[in-house]
Amino acid sequence: MLSRSASLTNGHFFNAVLAAGDPYLGDGSVDLGDVILAIAKAIIAFVVLLVAVMLMVWFERKVVSRLQNRIGPNVAGPFGILQTLADGIKLFFKEDIIPTRADRFVFQLAPYLALVPAFLTFTIIPIAGDFSDGQNGAVTIFGRETFVQVADLPVGILFFLAMSSLAVYGIMLAGWSSGSKYPLLGSVRASAQAISYEAALGLSLASVLLVAGSLSTNEIVQAQAGEGFGGIIPRWNLIVTGLIPFVVFVISGTAELNRPPFDFVEAEQELVGGFHTEYSSIRFSLFFLAEFMNTVTMSAIIVTLFLGGPAGPNFGFLPGWLWGFVWFFLKLLIFLFMFVWFRATLPRLRYDQLMDLGWKVLIPLSLAWLLLLAAIRQARNGVWEYGGSAFNSTLLALAIGTGLTVIGVGLLGLAIRSARDERLRAAGLVAVAGVSDSGLEGED
Amino acid sequence: MAQYLPVLALLILAALFAAVSFAASKLLAPRNPTVEKYAPYECGIIPGREPPGRFPVRFYLVAMLFVIFDVEIIFLYPWAVANERLGLFGLVAILIFSATVFESLVYLISKGALDWGPLQISRRQDLTPVDDDTDLDGIRSGRRTTATTIRRVGTTGRFEEGAAA
Repeated sequence: MLSRSASLTNGHFFNAVLAAGDPYLGDGSVDLGDVILAIAKAIIAFVVLLVAVMLMVWFERKVVSRLQNRIGPNVAGPFGILQTLADGIKLFFKEDIIPTRADRFVFQLAPYLALVPAFLTFTIIPIAGDFSDGQNGAVTIFGRETFVQVADLPVGILFFLAMSSLAVYGIMLAGWSSGSKYPLLGSVRASAQAISYEAALGLSLASVLLVAGSLSTNEIVQAQAGEGFGGIIPRWNLIVTGLIPFVVFVISGTAELNRPPFDFVEAEQELVGGFHTEYSSIRFSLFFLAEFMNTVTMSAIIVTLFLGGPAGPNFGFLPGWLWGFVWFFLKLLIFLFMFVWFRATLPRLRYDQLMDLGWKVLIPLSLAWLLLLAAIRQARNGVWEYGGSAFNSTLLALAIGTGLTVIGVGLLGLAIRSARDERLRAAGLVAVAGVSDSGLEGED
Repeated sequence: MAQYLPVLALLILAALFAAVSFAASKLLAPRNPTVEKYAPYECGIIPGREPPGRFPVRFYLVAMLFVIFDVEIIFLYPWAVANERLGLFGLVAILIFSATVFESLVYLISKGALDWGPLQISRRQDLTPVDDDTDLDGIRSGRRTTATTIRRVGTTGRFEEGAAA
């Protein structure tokens, strides 16, 4: 991937970036068949998403109840698998309340703003396709070559970030328009949380872009499908970017989804139901739908960016594209289970701990890691040279990187201490330097 | 722009789905309004005060910081995609840029713009109260009260007691 693009000149490179995308729409002309294929893809994605959400809700309830020594839903359908459907139908028959103090227009608009971005994020995810032996995962339907994803946008990852920002509007406006204090508090918290973690999310994502050299999700998967290290360990970004971006992404992704242990939006002990306290009937269920859809989509994004998406070995006896789906689905299940497990195991954080973690740990960490990764990659691939060999220049990059990190951590520590001292002074307390362990230890 | 065709189709489909759901709910659901049901939910208590129109300024600060950092991230993406083509020049340029942004983060933290929680006082540190009114024991020991942990914001701009009635 890199050797191919490195041989291109700058002009060719930018043409290549702009030309990324689904082959059937890439030839400049759009005929009726293309439009029908596009609509068919949208309808299939729509149905798949709704079924996936239905199963996800059931899966979460079932797993959480098992982890809590309960049985969980077991009446509607085999293993209670139709429980979500039953709940959904029930909600259609419930009274739809718009509180008298609510801003009617915005109150009715907010569910759309939450639901539509949740659907649209899914469009950039490759869910199947054969990526083995350098293939690009394209399949041929009705004589048209296409990827097994709704759309392969040239700006794919930016589109994902844009949609996750848009979803904040749904939450913010839902809380604001309710005309009630708990939803308002919940939504302001949620927005502050979502935008704080969006920064960390975006920075950890940049490491993936650095390695893949593209914003298109299909090309990011292709870049991970190559020959593995030692022939066994796959060339996933999880390993290539050095684990830290993955960890930061999972943490900030969980916060972005407002899932436990970061579920301040719905901290029921403090805020009743959070931003959707005043929502009932089908309006409530659409928020609920969007939330679970986002969980499924975020898991799929993690799989695409860090675990190679549908890339995996092709063992034959099944069509090649179906193997892609098998690998994708297995990897997806890991993260779906992880999110449920988080909910069952981790207690909720405190709000200030959440903000501290985001701004003072995750953002500096992912920024430093991105710059270090860029320097090391340049040194190893011989973009510049010091001391006659790639090894020496890597060492130099590491040394400078370590030095800068130490300075950065020192500055951060100094800033945190100075803020603390300022607050102590404001609280009427003055820290006396140099005196410690003065008999306060055994006080309680 | 042809690549966005399926996205547009899905957008219409999703909006339609929500619209049809609302219409169906309108047809199927009972309507049985009472004053209590349509009042703001406050766990059964009759709502006395309007929701606050003003917020701690910290939330606005976070929103402004987000703009700074989001612009930085968007600025990093083109460089990240073309890292090896831009070479050492690009790396140094982005280092200087990141140092500037990092410096502003450090400044904000040192000014306490990102402090949220109650003041944490370590037991190891000896503290001298400036005046005798400070409840040092309450802060230092486990006997913390709301007086020591919650910063009072006052009632400025709120409704007067009794004025709403």
